[in-house]
Amino acid sequence: MPTTAKKGEILEIRIIVQHDMESGFRHTETGQRVPRDIIRDFLCVYNGVEVFRVELHPAMGANPLIIFSTVATESGTLEFKWSGDNGYASSTSSKLTVT
Amino acid sequence: MSLTRRVFVISAAAASVLPAVKAFATVDDATQAVGKILGNQKAKAGRVTLEIPPLVENGNLVTMKVAVESPMTQADYVRAIHIVAEGNPLPNVVSFYLSHRAGLAAITTRIRLGDSQRVRAIAQMSDGSFWQGDAATLVTLAACTEV
Repeated sequence: MPTTAKKGEILEIRIIVQHDMESGFRHTETGQRVPRDIIRDFLCVYNGVEVFRVELHPAMGANPLIIFSTVATESGTLEFKWSGDNGYASSTSSKLTVT
Repeated sequence: MSLTRRVFVISAAAASVLPAVKAFATVDDATQAVGKILGNQKAKAGRVTLEIPPLVENGNLVTMKVAVESPMTQADYVRAIHIVAEGNPLPNVVSFYLSHRAGLAAITTRIRLGDSQRVRAIAQMSDGSFWQGDAATLVTLAACTEV
């Protein structure tokens, strides 16, 4: 995502995370089901306010990519948080300067 | 000797009739999933555009774009967009929750499709109304089939 913006500008944010997103529908060579292990939630928080949220299901592709947008309202930090099965949690953040 | 072989053949035949793991949902499952989203309301056709390639080589990673016409102001914005697949083992694919802070109700992501099918997008507006759009696609290689 851009690091600077004018106030009121709509920013496009592209985020991707490395994760197999094991759907729970695959089988091993011996015929056993591989259990589900996916990311279930994504959250974008802008200066402490939730601005975008996603609920992911097994039909989301591996290494989930999401392209969304948000309005540049003020300078600050955008945090991006992923959470899912088996206690998976991952986050990253980006600073934004709004003029 | 022949008795045990007959027993073996019969039990093998019985075992092969046991229901396999459900491979694909039916359109009814998807309708039920949509029903849960809508409650007792109906979704009007329009305002929602769902773009999926009409022919997909590999169902494991299908780029999908959904856009909803909306001013995205505090008074009138898209609250949620739900994607439901009619031909996957589980109908729900993903749900996006937005607010007026989004600016644009347009999201791109990559999904898995298990079969050629119609995929539906249901959008809920801030005034509680539902709008829907859909896209049909042909899938050459189903997702989640490789070991």
